Amino acid sequence: MGLRSCSFPRYREVDPVFRLSHQPLIPIVHACDSAGGFVTFEGKVRNHANLREVLRLEYEAYEDLAVSEGEKLVAEAVARYRLESATVVHRVGLLEVGETAVIIQTAAAHRREAFAGCEWILDQLKHRVPIWKKEYYADGDSGWVGADAPGPNPELDAQLTQRQRRLAEIGDAGQARLKAASVLLVGAGGLAAGCLPYLAAAGVGTLGLIDDDVVDVSNLHRQILFSVEDVGRLKVERAAQFVNLLNPTVEVHRHAERLTEANVDRFVASYDWIVDGSDNLPTKFLLNQACRRHSKPLVTASVHGFEGQLLTVLPDGPCLRCLFPTVPAGRCVGTCAENGILGVVPGTLGILQANEVLKGILGYGEFLSHQTQLIDLRTGDTMRLSRQMNPDCPVCGSGMDICDPCEVESISAAQARFGEYIIVDVREPDEEPHLDCAHVRLPFSGLGELPEGNLVVVCETGTRSLRVAARYLAAGRSNVVSLRGGVASLAPDEPR
Amino acid sequence: MTVRYFAVLRDRRGVGEETLSTDCESIGDFICELVVKHQLDLAPALIRAAQDGSFVDDSTPIRDGAQIVLVPPVSGG
Ligand SMILES: [Zn+2]
Repeated sequence: MGLRSCSFPRYREVDPVFRLSHQPLIPIVHACDSAGGFVTFEGKVRNHANLREVLRLEYEAYEDLAVSEGEKLVAEAVARYRLESATVVHRVGLLEVGETAVIIQTAAAHRREAFAGCEWILDQLKHRVPIWKKEYYADGDSGWVGADAPGPNPELDAQLTQRQRRLAEIGDAGQARLKAASVLLVGAGGLAAGCLPYLAAAGVGTLGLIDDDVVDVSNLHRQILFSVEDVGRLKVERAAQFVNLLNPTVEVHRHAERLTEANVDRFVASYDWIVDGSDNLPTKFLLNQACRRHSKPLVTASVHGFEGQLLTVLPDGPCLRCLFPTVPAGRCVGTCAENGILGVVPGTLGILQANEVLKGILGYGEFLSHQTQLIDLRTGDTMRLSRQMNPDCPVCGSGMDICDPCEVESISAAQARFGEYIIVDVREPDEEPHLDCAHVRLPFSGLGELPEGNLVVVCETGTRSLRVAARYLAAGRSNVVSLRGGVASLAPDEPR
Repeated sequence: MTVRYFAVLRDRRGVGEETLSTDCESIGDFICELVVKHQLDLAPALIRAAQDGSFVDDSTPIRDGAQIVLVPPVSGG
């Protein structure tokens, strides 16, 4: 018995099963000796959607494509959740209320994977497999409903927004402008947690979300779109679900990608307004430049501890680089993980970002287009500092690109810059620092004077070493640089 | 004059606001002086100063009794 179970492969190759059926669906009993947890999910036609009474549904599919995409999806679920088996059968054709539209069955060694795999398949199915749904309503109307696109419901639209339409500045005309507008949120984190719900609730017609990250438990104190159960799941998926529940009339586009130089133009060009909710300086500067290129308005905010900063960049106003012509090194001011952050700070700033976007779409009030607002939530103090176009701006003026002079990208870049140099390791003894190449060890905590000559300062991640380099540059010494990314980023073939 | 520190500069300086006097004539020189004196650990070129409510460039003369706000890049989201 013991021998047999030892030789039994832990995870079998599973043939992905995805079928379409024109006949009513009946769940079959599934069996698998290596699995202990079996989940059967049945999705049925219900008699209401989007607050309207539904009589029946019609499903239509590109059958070949649906099956091949469906098989890929099931195979992915098997690998992702270590399923022992997984099958999906989806109905096509006309279905009455109470009929089964889809059956998903998963089996895994333990129940947790079986449940998680089943739900994941269901979430993905709606977006990836070309099956369309048409709803037939009791009032005689009908409409095709996409995975992200809500069913049409002008009445719900009107009910949801009645209190804001009472405002003279909005009215029906303003509400129509909101419905026609599209807003891209970059980053589905703490700022988005403030911004996204209010844009959705106000009835902005189309919201795009871009973020490649998954929910971490350390996010939850500020990223309140998510709950403990969402840990490990894609932020854009959960945030989109949040919006769908809050206001099903909003169309949500989810992009589980990282914003890069390669894709930024495509995204920025596709939306009317861009909201920067990112948590890093390179993304903020990348967005600033792309928005200027495409003449799109940008609302950018950032937070630190108890404080936040907010500004709006209009196509004809001063930009972020007008204010900061020198591109800062990525880690020069630390991250939320390093500095700490109070949850209400990004929440507050995110809500103010939503307000800037609403001002733009509806045309009330005054933008922060020639000001930067600083907010300190310890005291409630806010300050508005005015800012102007900078003729030397590298983005909208004739200025040159300048990078933070305190950093080098690699040891070879230091070699190219200095020829000869000394490596100074500022990690603490309790980090058990190790470097193969010749170096001087001067822990950051008790750092005295640095030696003469060209120096490359290193630490584990490049944060402390950058502070040291900046300190010496400020004192007038320009031959001290920090290794970006620190020892942790050294390639295996680089000297350690 | 009074100097207010924002975000990481406040953390590194240890206070949010202080009253100071200086022999520096320009904003840029004053930023350099503060960075060195208080080990603010940020290249002076990355720090922007507002004098009496408006951002100014480094060559701007310091006004007597001015309120100066020092703003670094802020990255968190
Ligand atoms: Zn500019």
